[in-house]
Amino acid sequence: MLRFLAVRLSLIALTLLVVSVLIFTITEVLPGDAAQQQLGQSVTPESLEALRAKYGLNRPAHVRYLDWIGGMVSGDLGDSYKYNKPVINVVRPRVFNSVVLAAFAFLVAVPTAVFSGVWAGVRRNSFGDQLVSIASLVGISLPEFVTGVLFIVIFASALRWLPSSSVMLPATNPLTRPSILVLPTLTLTGVLFAYIMRMTRANVIEEMQANYVRTAILKGLSMQRVIWRHVIPNAMLPTISVIAVNIGWMLGGLIIVENVFAYPGIGSLLLVSIQSRDVPILQALALLIAVTYALSNLLADLSYGLLNPRIRVS
Amino acid sequence: MANQDRLELGPPQPADSGVMASQAVTGTARTGLLRTTNARATAALGSLLGQFRLALRTPAGRIGLPLVLLHLIIALAGPWLAPYAPTAFVGSQLEPPSWQFLMGTDQFGRDILSRVMSGAGSIIAVSVAGAALGIALGTLVGMASGYKGGRTDEVVMRVMDGLMSFPSLLMALLVLTSLGANAANIVLTIGVVFTAPVSRVMRSITLSLKTQEFVQSARMRGEPVPYIIFREILPNTLPVLAVEGSVRLSYAILLASSLGFLGLGVQPPSPDWGLMISESRRFIVVAPWVALAPAVAVATLIVGVNLLTDGIRQARTLPREGTQV
Amino acid sequence: MTEAGQDTNSLVQVKQLAVTFYTPTGTVRAVRDASFEIMRSEVLGLVGESGCGKSTVAFAIMGYLPGMHQVEGDIYYEGKDINDLSASELRKLRGNRIAMVYQDPATCLNPSMRVGPQVEETLKMNLGLDPARAHERTVELFESVGLADPENIGKRYPHQLSGGMQQRIVIAMALACDPDLLIMDEPTTGLDVTTEATILDLVVDLKKRVRAGILFVSHNLGVIARVADRVAVMYAGQVIEQAPARELFRNPRHPYTAGLLSCVPQPPSAEGTVTKLTGIPGVVYEASKVDIDACLFAPRCPLAADRCTAQAPGMEDAGDRHESRCFFWRDVRKGLWGKEVPWEPVSRDTESLLCARGLRKFYGRWQRKYLFFGPRVRPPVRALVDVDFDVRSGRTLGVVGESGSGKTTIARTVAGLIPRNRGELRLHGEELAPEVEDRSRKHRDALRMVFQNPTASLNPQLPVSHAIVRSLRKLVGLGRAESRKRAAELLQAVGLDPGYLGRLPGELSGGEQQRVALANAFAGNADLILADEAVSSLDVSVQAQVLDLLDKHQKEQGTSYIFISHDLGVVRYVSDDILVLYAGHVAESGPAGSVLKPPMHPYTEALLSAAPVPDPDARPSSIRLPGAVPTLRERFQGCFFAGRCPRKIGAICDRTPPPGHTGSDSDDHVIYCHIPVDELLRLQE
Repeated sequence: MLRFLAVRLSLIALTLLVVSVLIFTITEVLPGDAAQQQLGQSVTPESLEALRAKYGLNRPAHVRYLDWIGGMVSGDLGDSYKYNKPVINVVRPRVFNSVVLAAFAFLVAVPTAVFSGVWAGVRRNSFGDQLVSIASLVGISLPEFVTGVLFIVIFASALRWLPSSSVMLPATNPLTRPSILVLPTLTLTGVLFAYIMRMTRANVIEEMQANYVRTAILKGLSMQRVIWRHVIPNAMLPTISVIAVNIGWMLGGLIIVENVFAYPGIGSLLLVSIQSRDVPILQALALLIAVTYALSNLLADLSYGLLNPRIRVS
Repeated sequence: MANQDRLELGPPQPADSGVMASQAVTGTARTGLLRTTNARATAALGSLLGQFRLALRTPAGRIGLPLVLLHLIIALAGPWLAPYAPTAFVGSQLEPPSWQFLMGTDQFGRDILSRVMSGAGSIIAVSVAGAALGIALGTLVGMASGYKGGRTDEVVMRVMDGLMSFPSLLMALLVLTSLGANAANIVLTIGVVFTAPVSRVMRSITLSLKTQEFVQSARMRGEPVPYIIFREILPNTLPVLAVEGSVRLSYAILLASSLGFLGLGVQPPSPDWGLMISESRRFIVVAPWVALAPAVAVATLIVGVNLLTDGIRQARTLPREGTQV
Repeated sequence: MTEAGQDTNSLVQVKQLAVTFYTPTGTVRAVRDASFEIMRSEVLGLVGESGCGKSTVAFAIMGYLPGMHQVEGDIYYEGKDINDLSASELRKLRGNRIAMVYQDPATCLNPSMRVGPQVEETLKMNLGLDPARAHERTVELFESVGLADPENIGKRYPHQLSGGMQQRIVIAMALACDPDLLIMDEPTTGLDVTTEATILDLVVDLKKRVRAGILFVSHNLGVIARVADRVAVMYAGQVIEQAPARELFRNPRHPYTAGLLSCVPQPPSAEGTVTKLTGIPGVVYEASKVDIDACLFAPRCPLAADRCTAQAPGMEDAGDRHESRCFFWRDVRKGLWGKEVPWEPVSRDTESLLCARGLRKFYGRWQRKYLFFGPRVRPPVRALVDVDFDVRSGRTLGVVGESGSGKTTIARTVAGLIPRNRGELRLHGEELAPEVEDRSRKHRDALRMVFQNPTASLNPQLPVSHAIVRSLRKLVGLGRAESRKRAAELLQAVGLDPGYLGRLPGELSGGEQQRVALANAFAGNADLILADEAVSSLDVSVQAQVLDLLDKHQKEQGTSYIFISHDLGVVRYVSDDILVLYAGHVAESGPAGSVLKPPMHPYTEALLSAAPVPDPDARPSSIRLPGAVPTLRERFQGCFFAGRCPRKIGAICDRTPPPGHTGSDSDDHVIYCHIPVDELLRLQE
């Protein structure tokens, strides 16, 4: 078990190394550096050079990479080009906002999805199952911006129950204004629910066909007991891994959802920083996302390893 | 939207001592009686088009395929079928749906229905091309790496893992911003972004097939490696490839429309469904219909492709025998 | 047939059972007509080849048939027809009064639940025992099925137990509520022969101890002969013969039964003759075809006459409690199928074709304590350790051993599919490269292989001709047209119609697929063919056909074989020389005649003792090996067999590796044991 963890951790470390190089390379390739963005079109080469020197943009690539990595490790992520503040200060409140949103979406999606998945899988091909399957199919098919806009049309414009955008004053805690959280959460939940539900259903169906389920049935156990004590615990193993991986996936969803609702989280910050070529912020966010992805994968592996007796008890 | 990748669940299981290798075989080879009666259908599984034909046997496929075909027809014939030119200012601004303009007009007075129909071509073309590119690259990388095994495989998989550590939307945003947003670059971006997840899937099936005896047989004949991969192994991956291709297509459409929504799709004045929805937000309160047509279009297309995917998946289980005697 | 309920010893009466499945690809008539009775304290063996419907009968008695199906006929238990019971009534019976043991114990136990609770669950749910009492009873059960450490074994998970232990747990679970009827569906298929022997001992023991009636389903005639009191033989969904076990094996009264018996390889008789196996020609009557008013076996039967195709025979009385579904049962006799031929040893003075010295193969690397550095903690798997053997031209070397013995590794290393770590391998005196990709065309042509799994040996997406034509073109150098012609000839030589060339492997039966694999191996100038469990997954009648083909080819072309199998009977039948492997080491090697009679290595002795023979009267010495095959990760300081050897003489067996003693009758016979040869001879006679 410990070996298992150690192997996984080292693989993650390796992957993150590759990732950091990737991030750095891609952001370097972005045309028009921040200095140019800031100063605009009509600018003298001298002032451009001066600004570049100030940001350290005139040093060779590998020096800048090592500098960045060094900074990362020691906790100094540099200053934002656009906001002229330390990256951490810009990023921190946004991270908090996104975490709130993601947490709510997760808390709503996971229990409902798992429950429906089990319910549908056990009643395979029944009317209820078909209904849920169709609903989940629609769920994974609709892009978040479509559902988001749809919700705005229905709940904000037509019914006027909720605000149409989630714009807040900076430094506001979103928890103090729950109404702006509802629609973004619902949108994010939609796709999350659909994916997890489908996976759960597939896993349950697969386990139902296993030989040990036949043994349990022919032992004279009630179908109730067979499902709860035999099928579900085994079906949950791969499902929990999938759920953990979805944490990472949600980050992609955040980009669109935050844009649709103008919610001040890391998604919208990411878009802004790309447009303004605010490289330090961009790099920091990209790395943050990659690390979250990696950690969610680790969590998935860990939970699978802990819960699966084949791995836990060698 | 990120990649819902097939999760590799845990390390391979240790072999059980005391149980013979032949045990695993007794279930299949001993069914001397139960041949695959639908052997020709099995042959059809060997061709990609055959997959789609088989999908028609399932309820999901029966709805999905026509839906997709409908979109394809509109994509190809759109510019001719549309009542007005997509960039022409034919009516007053923000007119509600009427007999003259079935889906209303947008903020410039252009007919929305015509714009939607004309926009079908670009998004479908870009998605199909991008998905195809991703599959081609991913298959090459995944199969070669999987067959080779050893250190090379490890290194390649680390790099693929690295590429998959971002949501594909983020990668696409970064790449497109660097290269500039035009159709060719979008195709390239989608292709590159999909290479990693496709390579994982293809590698996985290559790993399981390369231990099969017919591959060992080919090795003993002295067949060169490319021959083994493409002539012996590849035909057996087609069922998996078809499903993956379908899934990638739906992701490609999602990605392309999301990029359009964020302003990085096909540039105006060409109609782009995502961009149309994004722009409609300004008028959502006074003119909600502006978002409706493109939303329905993109939703039905993706639903169609997903139904088709489900159809292909279910069809794979149809020809197999259902009982054990 | 007794009336239901009249004879209190009669537990289950099955009358004219017919089961039909309706699948998307067609109708499958799995069972057409089966009638029999199961009595208390008696084992009824249900035997037949694949597809005969025996497993379906077993599940029908449990009332557990999947998919859309129709059941005709009656299954009476305690006066009621199982088919008429409601779901809840069935549930009350299952696990409680009727219990089942299955084929693949590893997958039949819940992998996430400890084994103790899985057995306790039956007791709690069916008998309503409280947890403490249930636990107590579980421990008793574990002890009664011969599990070591019954107190604590319940805490383990299934994957921590060996196959034999898992099956004992399943048996314990089935016996928990003291059922009236125990159904065992191929319970030892998939277990090693030595493990199988211990489980069969358990079944025989249960028969004496427990009052239940047992239905034992198997395809293996030897196993049936060991455990069954009464036997019913099934063919194409019908029971075609029923008799007390001894009667059936001695005086079969149906041509098919006689055929089956003649397909099982027997040791040479006292007169030095051996039954030549020819197999049963033709194919089984397919389950998709309708019932006809004729004998279903007639197309393949040597006794068939006009009457057989005009009218369907019923079960006729053929003696004392002996029934047969044949009009001509009186004409059935032992020599109906195979002939007795004198056993001719093949000439010894042939050159050495393949010479292997010091073969070594390890899988994996040393695991270190801290992942990449630190002390070595877990050794690699030592699959082959210092193995030597010779294959002489025109002779067959049989390699026999159980799981983990290294026999498959030998095949793979000789073939070059897996590179050997160390050791010399010479063909015609020339060194063979460790990897097949590095070998010359000449070597690749000279050495061919037939694999265990016939379905996986052929590319499912490419026609049958593909592999054969490629072999001919790449290794023999024939042109395209020539190769196709030759491929057609090769198929004919193995008894297949040349029209099969264009078909896909999925359209052929397992036996036909294996024959294609043979044709592939014969395509070219192979001096040596490796047969890696080539017949192990085939039905006994098909197995005989394949063995016959191999034999013919050897006589015509003088090809040598390395024949690898776990089945001692088959190895004895085909081999001229035998190599016995255990845990990657050679235990004994030499001419077939010498190896399988005393003096023998204690392991060989145990193997012979464990192998089931289709003769109910056979009482071989009951040498049983405790424990299971070792994990192969340890380096044996002393003898590799010391951990389980019944003839271990003392500490010397643990400390020093055994020397090779030459057998008394032949210079080529080597036994690796500390016990001197004459001592062994004395102990084993």
